[in-house]
Amino acid sequence: MADPAVMAGGFSAIVGRSGCGKATSSPAENYQLARRRTLQVVVSSLLTECGFESAEKATVESLTEMIQSCFNVDTLPGYAKRSQRMVITAPPVTNAPVIPKALIAGQKRTHPSHIPSHFPEFPDPHTYIKTPTFREPVSDYQVVREKAASQRRDVERALTRFMAKTGETQSLFKDDVTAFPLIAERPSSIPYLSALLPSELELQTLEETDSSEQDDQTDSENTPVNNLNDDPGADKENSVLPAGGMVPLVKVSEENMIDNPYLRPVKKPKVRRKK
Amino acid sequence: MHEIKMNRKKDKGFESPRPFKLTHQVVCINNINFQRKSVIGFVELTIFPTVVNLNRIKLNSKQCRIYRVRVNDLEAPFIYNDPTLEVCHHESKQRNLNYFSSAYTAAVSAVDPDAGHGELVIKVPSELWKQGDEMNVLKVYIEFSLDQPKGGLHFVVPDVEGSMAERGAHVFSFGYQNSTRFWFPCVDSYSELCTWKLEFTVDASMVAVSCGDLVETVYTHDMRKKTFHYVLPIPTAASNISLSVGPFEILVDPYMHEVTHFCLPQLLPLLKHSMSYLHEIFEFYEEILTCRYPYSCFKTVFVDEAYVQVSSYASMSIFSTNLLHSALIIDQTPLTRQCLAQALAQQFFGCFISRMSWADEWVLKGISGYIYGLYLKKTFGVNQYRHWIKEELDKMVEYELKMGGVLLHPTFGGGKDKDNPTPHLHFSIKHPHTLSWKYYKMFQCKAHLVMRLIENRISMEFMLQVFNKLLSLASTASSQKYQSHMWSQMLVSTHSFLKSISNVSGKDIGPLIKQWVDQSAVVKFFGSFAFNRKRNVLELEIRQDYTSSGTQKYVGPIKVTVQELDGSFNHTLQIEENSLKHDIPCHSKSRRNKKKKIPLMNGEEVDMDLSAMDADSPLLWIRIDPDMSILRKVEFEQADFMWQYQLRYERDVVAQEESILALEKFPTPASRLALTDILEQDQCFYKVRQGACFCLAKIANSMMSTWTGPPAMKSLFTRMFCCKSCPNIVKTNTFISFQSYFLQKTMPVAMAQLRDIQNLCPKDVLNFILDLIKYNDNRKNKFSDNYYRAELIDALTNSLTPAISISNEVRTVDNLNGDVRLILEEITRSLNMEKLLPSYRNTITVSCLRAIRMLQKNGHIPSDPSLFKSYAEYGHFVDVRVAALEAVVDYTRVDRSSVELQWLLNMVQNDPAHYVRHKILSMLGKNPPFTKAAESPLCNEALVDQLWKLMNSGTSHDWRLRCDAVNLYYTLFGLTRPSCLPLPELGLVLNLKEKKAVLNPTIKPEQGPDTTEMTGNTMGVHIPVMGFTSSLDEGLITMETVSSVSMSSGVAPPPQGLKRKLDSVVGPLGSSPPEPGQVLQEEDSSKKFKIRFNTMEEDEIDMESPHDSQAFIHHHLNILERPSTPGKEPPAVDQAVLSLPVTPLPSSFSKESTSSSKHSGHHHHHHEHKKKKKKKHKHKHKHKHESKDKERDSHAFSNSPASGRSVRSPSMSD
Repeated sequence: MADPAVMAGGFSAIVGRSGCGKATSSPAENYQLARRRTLQVVVSSLLTECGFESAEKATVESLTEMIQSCFNVDTLPGYAKRSQRMVITAPPVTNAPVIPKALIAGQKRTHPSHIPSHFPEFPDPHTYIKTPTFREPVSDYQVVREKAASQRRDVERALTRFMAKTGETQSLFKDDVTAFPLIAERPSSIPYLSALLPSELELQTLEETDSSEQDDQTDSENTPVNNLNDDPGADKENSVLPAGGMVPLVKVSEENMIDNPYLRPVKKPKVRRKK
Repeated sequence: MHEIKMNRKKDKGFESPRPFKLTHQVVCINNINFQRKSVIGFVELTIFPTVVNLNRIKLNSKQCRIYRVRVNDLEAPFIYNDPTLEVCHHESKQRNLNYFSSAYTAAVSAVDPDAGHGELVIKVPSELWKQGDEMNVLKVYIEFSLDQPKGGLHFVVPDVEGSMAERGAHVFSFGYQNSTRFWFPCVDSYSELCTWKLEFTVDASMVAVSCGDLVETVYTHDMRKKTFHYVLPIPTAASNISLSVGPFEILVDPYMHEVTHFCLPQLLPLLKHSMSYLHEIFEFYEEILTCRYPYSCFKTVFVDEAYVQVSSYASMSIFSTNLLHSALIIDQTPLTRQCLAQALAQQFFGCFISRMSWADEWVLKGISGYIYGLYLKKTFGVNQYRHWIKEELDKMVEYELKMGGVLLHPTFGGGKDKDNPTPHLHFSIKHPHTLSWKYYKMFQCKAHLVMRLIENRISMEFMLQVFNKLLSLASTASSQKYQSHMWSQMLVSTHSFLKSISNVSGKDIGPLIKQWVDQSAVVKFFGSFAFNRKRNVLELEIRQDYTSSGTQKYVGPIKVTVQELDGSFNHTLQIEENSLKHDIPCHSKSRRNKKKKIPLMNGEEVDMDLSAMDADSPLLWIRIDPDMSILRKVEFEQADFMWQYQLRYERDVVAQEESILALEKFPTPASRLALTDILEQDQCFYKVRQGACFCLAKIANSMMSTWTGPPAMKSLFTRMFCCKSCPNIVKTNTFISFQSYFLQKTMPVAMAQLRDIQNLCPKDVLNFILDLIKYNDNRKNKFSDNYYRAELIDALTNSLTPAISISNEVRTVDNLNGDVRLILEEITRSLNMEKLLPSYRNTITVSCLRAIRMLQKNGHIPSDPSLFKSYAEYGHFVDVRVAALEAVVDYTRVDRSSVELQWLLNMVQNDPAHYVRHKILSMLGKNPPFTKAAESPLCNEALVDQLWKLMNSGTSHDWRLRCDAVNLYYTLFGLTRPSCLPLPELGLVLNLKEKKAVLNPTIKPEQGPDTTEMTGNTMGVHIPVMGFTSSLDEGLITMETVSSVSMSSGVAPPPQGLKRKLDSVVGPLGSSPPEPGQVLQEEDSSKKFKIRFNTMEEDEIDMESPHDSQAFIHHHLNILERPSTPGKEPPAVDQAVLSLPVTPLPSSFSKESTSSSKHSGHHHHHHEHKKKKKKKHKHKHKHKHESKDKERDSHAFSNSPASGRSVRSPSMSD
């Protein structure tokens, strides 16, 4: 009979879902949704009144639809004052805790006529009025750049000097080995790693700018796959590359789907008996 | 005697030089030891004899230790003889490069697989060949090992903690041309195709990547190793087989699952990015060739310490790991893609389709280079393509004009005078292995340019049809089981290629081929013109220089484009023997309608300011051969305004670049304006704009006194790249527009070349550059600015000028110039920051090292190589090493330091990285410490000995390096005996045993009348030379030669003092200009440099018993190590005899020839003595007697000094 998945009392679940799912819809849609939600609440409470424990979602939907389409306004007052009606208590109006008046600056604006008086008051004028400042933006940029440049330079200089002071150095001059000290070069065992890999700093920028260009391994089920059989005489001409324009587009999460001989598991040795 | 058939085959089929056909080869490497750098394995070759009673099988093998050879399960005796190990055996003191080159060529010929030869000769057991007519399959099984190979395989084993896999240890095969023989015995020829089974057992943590399909991977029984089984069913030459083993990270190409990429640990993200483009290259080639990629899979492997950036093998390519880059890097991206495209083009032409002989190499290099060019055009645009073509053409033309012609298709006649088609070269072009590397580069360059010429002639459509035909023939052939001659369809020859062209296009390209392929050299045009107003005719004069080296005469059509007021007109002129002048009627009458737009070649109509032009002439500009359809250099004269119009309005980038070059000679305000306009034009190709920067700097310097306004380009740079509000601060980097990026990089470098009246870099330019460095801000950029920062350092370097020095003052910190102090400050800071935050490919370190060297050279800081030497050590990134080495090379030259030269040569011999070794020698050749033309304290006997040893025996493992050493030797000492060698005791070869001395025939007088030698010969007395030191040239020459033939064993070597004197006498002699007679002499001698090599067939040696070749190799190596002394060892005797045919005595002197034959008689006489002692030599000498007569007319092989000593099994020589 009734689907236990949808409980009549659990309409909040429905409300909740539609509430969060449609967070970004237009005002007109919002209105429609709100109206419909209200009707659903009404239907649900009516059903509860009539003694139903739970109702199928589809049922609630069709009843809502019915109320929506054949709803007679004239009968509404009588119906509203029926004896065994269920009263939905208004959500308790929680008065915001009274904040001690710390500071009030300026004259608060009064509500315009179309705003009911129970709405909160306007905040202090300074919170929405722009404050004019008196710094020149023209020189600002130059100063910022200047500052950034000299700051970087100072940091770099301090850092390299520190490194030079604490470690081995090489010198360009014979008379004064402390002038223009060069941090001694140090041969690395794998020099290509540091020379090729971007630094972490650079990687960050790369991630910020390049997150869209993620190239995952893609696959297409129809790609002709190499049949690498053991017969060396097999005709390999039939199993060549996909034709020019056939770029596989379907993304497949499992890399194992790709049949590539280097991805295949390594075979266990055959137990052979030596002659 | 085998004769090398390198001529273009008139008959269609391929004739194997071998008496057998190889059909299948198994290569099994069971063990690779990274610790010891050794390899153990075996090969099994399946061969079909093509003659009855095949008794000898010649294979190629170098540096392999061969343990046993079995033919069809029967032990087979073998000999191993590698004459290239040591080219000239005796410790001769001649040091004559002519002699060396011919001996080296003979040695390479002696084991040339294309002529059916090999280092390894296996005797087929008699049981197998006495079976009668029946031709059975023979299976040749060879067990071998390699211990610390110096060539063929390269081990990279980083010195860190951990297992080999954790350390990133890897090994890969490498080599220049056919070099597979270095790592397993095979027929190392591009024309011997067979199918392959390859097995490699490696550590379980490693991957073995090789050619063909990976069939399966199986653990060994102890589960600690894996065996990779590869099968290559497409017939492939051994030279196209490769291997790399390492703990590679595996990336299956996301677009093509048959394609797998491999890189070293930790580099996977770079690999992913760098390879994301490969599929487009695949698609491009498959589309234009209408042919699928011929192999069923493709593998790319990126290795460290690569020999070359790209090397292609059947179904795989090995790249340098330094090609990998992240998405942050701009400059490397096109370079890496170009490398990939080259590798892939060579998969089709070079690997799948192989060549018939060395003479056909140009076809493959040409086609692969040509289709690579088409890729460039499609991907990087027509501008880039045309720019590239011009660049390549200029490069090649420059080389040919400087060094002499490059010959694409050498034909070697049967021993006639035309034996050496390139007498101008100091090496032979008969073999790829004797070529200079630079020559080979230019050869490749010319090959693809000639293909483009053929395309011009027959259209691209036909061209591609020809390629398609070659490919489809080959792919039909490849799928066949072995049948005789079927597989030869996979080989391309010049003949078959040309035939295909004529079949497909129906056009005769004979003259084109004759001009550019069968003949070397380029064309050099000089053009000038006059406008005849009365006749309204352009009188064009085109002259040619065809007498200088590297030039040839051109006869045929030439296109001339004339831009007139009424439009652009093409004219095809005929260049004929004697007609220099060409009248071209003009279309435009005069400038009647001033407001009319001027139509350009591309149909565009533009407004021009015509005020600059000559009012009487309708000519705007003229271009000769605008399509580059002749391999030429054009020097054309036209007025400056014409060049300016050409720069502004001609849309072809080649024309723009030409006019930029020409405008350097016209430092006028109008040129300045034209260049500035180009700089500002966004639509203009960025490389043209870059060129305009440097040109502008040059003309600004020429206009120094009249220049008005701020320094050139400064305001332009400010407008383009600096902030609007604060023009002294550069904008934060974005680099979104690559065109502006490249311009932004180049402009400061060009600006730094500006000089003021004191010839210093203007102060505000220097400050400007320093500000650029200071305000450089890359935080918001999605690209790395490492190349930009490096170029800013380069700009600082460019701004340096020589220090004003007070005589020999020591450079100290205190007397450092203020500007230089600022520069040095930047450089040290950048170099130090690199240690903390290294840039991609350490570009900034590279620039800093260059800057420091420049500071030293200009006398601002003390000249000292120690910093560079430390950066040059193994363990730095290769670019850094090369930059540091370049500085050391430069220091060596400037300071004439023998210590540094020794240090460099030591590194050439010992450095682990082959590329670095090669680079040192080529940099020394480019920037030599001294040359043959000048005296130098560095030029001494020890150095001659050292270099001689290096090329003679020290570089036998690497063809390229040996040719580099030959090149350097040539640069330093020239072709003949180095002038620094002391003379007297060289004149004779002493044989203590025989108590006889003979004239050493390899001494060749540098120049002068040949009679002198004769005189010396007949006189036979040692003339004291002391008194003659200041006499005439002729006298000097006489003296030299006379002293060189001083006689009799009794004569003691002259005292040291005399030697010194002689040195000083000979010095200027070597540097004096050649006389006309010398050419003749050279020819004569080259004719005589024919070397006979006794092939194995001729020797009746006991080959019955099997033996261990290891012993021979050791024996041989011992000989190499031991400095042999003439007279002590039998080889000294050999020397006198063997070098006889090489005698460079001109035959034109009848007396001379009699005297030489007298000598030979003499030798034979004393060999009669020997005969009794050593019976084994009998045969050889007898053979020599016979051959003596033949030498004059027939070519064949002369007795090579290389053959003088072969390593034989004990059983053979006793």
